[in-house]
Amino acid sequence: MVELVPSLLRQELGRLAAVDERLDGRGRWEGRGVTLETNCLYNAEGSAKVTIGGTIVYAGVKFEIRAPWPDRPTQGSLMCGAELRPVAHVKYEPGPPSPESIELGRVVDRGIRESGCIDMDDLCIVPGEKVWGIMIDIHVLSDQGNIFDACGLAAIAALRTAIVPAQRFDVGEDYTLKVNGTPIMASFTRVGGRFIYDPSEQEELGGDERIHITLGDEGHVHSLQKGLKGVFTPAEFAEIFEVAQQRCAELRNLVAEQEGN
Amino acid sequence: MGGYGDVQLLREDGKRLDGRALDEMRPVSIEVGVLPAAQGSAMVTHGLNVAVAAVYGPMEAHPRKIQRQDRAVIDVRYNMAPFSTSDRIRPGFNRRSQEISKVTAEALESVVLVELYPRSKIRVEIEILAAEAGTRCAGITAATAALADAGIPMRDLMIGVASGKIENIVVLDLDKAEDNYGQADLPAGILPNTGEIAFLQMDGDLSPDEFNLAMEYNFKAAREIHDIMVNALKQKQQRGEA
Amino acid sequence: MSNGHSGAEQRLVTPGEALGSSSGLRNGSGVVERNGKFFSTKFGYMKNVNSTISVVPTHSSYMPQSGDFVIGYIVEVRSNLWFLHINGPFQGLLPMSLAPWKVEFGESRKHLDIGDAVFARVQEVDESHNVVLTMKGVGLRKIAEGAVEAFPSHLIEIFLGKQNANLQKMREHTNARIIATDNGQIWFDGDVQAMRNVRDLLMQFKGCLNGSELQSMIDNALN
Repeated sequence: MVELVPSLLRQELGRLAAVDERLDGRGRWEGRGVTLETNCLYNAEGSAKVTIGGTIVYAGVKFEIRAPWPDRPTQGSLMCGAELRPVAHVKYEPGPPSPESIELGRVVDRGIRESGCIDMDDLCIVPGEKVWGIMIDIHVLSDQGNIFDACGLAAIAALRTAIVPAQRFDVGEDYTLKVNGTPIMASFTRVGGRFIYDPSEQEELGGDERIHITLGDEGHVHSLQKGLKGVFTPAEFAEIFEVAQQRCAELRNLVAEQEGN
Repeated sequence: MGGYGDVQLLREDGKRLDGRALDEMRPVSIEVGVLPAAQGSAMVTHGLNVAVAAVYGPMEAHPRKIQRQDRAVIDVRYNMAPFSTSDRIRPGFNRRSQEISKVTAEALESVVLVELYPRSKIRVEIEILAAEAGTRCAGITAATAALADAGIPMRDLMIGVASGKIENIVVLDLDKAEDNYGQADLPAGILPNTGEIAFLQMDGDLSPDEFNLAMEYNFKAAREIHDIMVNALKQKQQRGEA
Repeated sequence: MSNGHSGAEQRLVTPGEALGSSSGLRNGSGVVERNGKFFSTKFGYMKNVNSTISVVPTHSSYMPQSGDFVIGYIVEVRSNLWFLHINGPFQGLLPMSLAPWKVEFGESRKHLDIGDAVFARVQEVDESHNVVLTMKGVGLRKIAEGAVEAFPSHLIEIFLGKQNANLQKMREHTNARIIATDNGQIWFDGDVQAMRNVRDLLMQFKGCLNGSELQSMIDNALN
């Protein structure tokens, strides 16, 4: 279903932007409240639930044993997928995975993969014969804006709690998956002409292009995605890149705090 | 039912492996209004099963060919999340989910006052986040609570429960081992106030007497879950002070 | 209180719940009769007004009725009519003949395009649930400025108050122009501060659990 964009909403967002205000009263670079809960799915080997405002996302990690690719006999694999099922919003329709859900899964996948937090050689069981395949499935249950950041956070938090089920597959004792880093995503949407952090549902509806930035522990960028119609300048990017550094560091602390408990 | 009759499912003291009595159900908890984007929603935890349901509508029914001139159609999707079982489920088309969705929709159409909303559609989305035998029943219970939360008129609250047979003995609410190695499973959607049955499936082997006892257990459990649901609905209206 | 939102003594009921004997009483919305007894069909508050028992749901979707004042959004433009989203189970249709302008055939888009909002009235809901809208009447027009927020449609009556008393207080308090419609839409316009005032109030009011709580929230915020 193509969502109706009310002309009044776009007009009002422009009016608010002119005085640097937002619909819900937040500052331009202010995020909504975030909660993170881990080990919350009984049958997953690692799991997390993230809420950002009214957005709710679950991620679950599963393992399988497979044969390695012939050219990489010691390397396992990682795959991350997202489903935008109709449970999450009236706008989502049943059917095969939409381009939107494929994009979402792939952007989260790249951020985790390219950060190098999983050493694929760690996933080798018998070189040339058996390696672990890790699958992170992300399930969006309620979309009230900025599902990208929620999915990114849920995926890495779930991965960081994962236990490799070696016993069930008869290849040794269970052990904690080694994860070297916490890549975090920060998303920005152009609303009323300027970029804002953590768009709400209304801001996404009445906004324009979006930019997703995934940063590693050292602040290095590991994945970028520009989506939807619109263009931006290097100066605009420089500004949000700086904000992303702060917001990602805060969320990384949240993951660390959760793990400390 | 696998028919693995030789697996021991009852202890020497006559209780089940998890310590439950024959007519004892697993713990059930219900929370209403859990999904902010939905018009109505609920989460049901039944033993280790976790089912979430969202309701959207009534809304204009599209495509037009699914419209009914005399009533609303209920469009149910029952789906198991990929991580809900010990072996990952590949997302996509699934015969089992399609069948459960169909009969659940028909059961709900017998409970919701669909004739009040001709030509429209009510969407009911059931997502299973953790599965440990009995997900269709947890899904029915979640769907009902979500419909009530959305203000959709219904004749009664439909409760999903199952009884079955293990080691030739009828028991209430099979867990995973009992479901895998038991001899029968009888899931039902029960209307505790009217005393009617709107959803019924069964597989395995039951004598007429065993069937009657299994249904008796189902009705008993449905009344218990009904009270939990009423409490959960009222709690939401009283900010958890009930 | 005659509006049935009288607070603590209200009985919260669930679908299928027995509400007592039907003798000498009539059943209203959300109540059915079976074998001389009333049963609730909705989750909500039971009320008895003039011997009619009904249940006011805690949550409900808008059902269009003839005479309703609504805000609608254009979703489809045809050469001789517009289709509008009116927040209900059926789309509304606005024929060219009921628009306030003289529209040449095929020029409907010049007046109202997709995404535009209008104040309209429900002219009729026919037996096959076609909802015909009209823009002929006082105050019915295209909405060119301000903002619209959704609000639970079954609480609009309380939001307005008796003889619009609540609405009037809100207008004075926020310094904004405010209009609330039957289909659960609230339009408001004013300067930036006035808009912020209205938004803050609406955000607070949307957290209410029922009509009586909304009334006390309004009393607290505006007195």
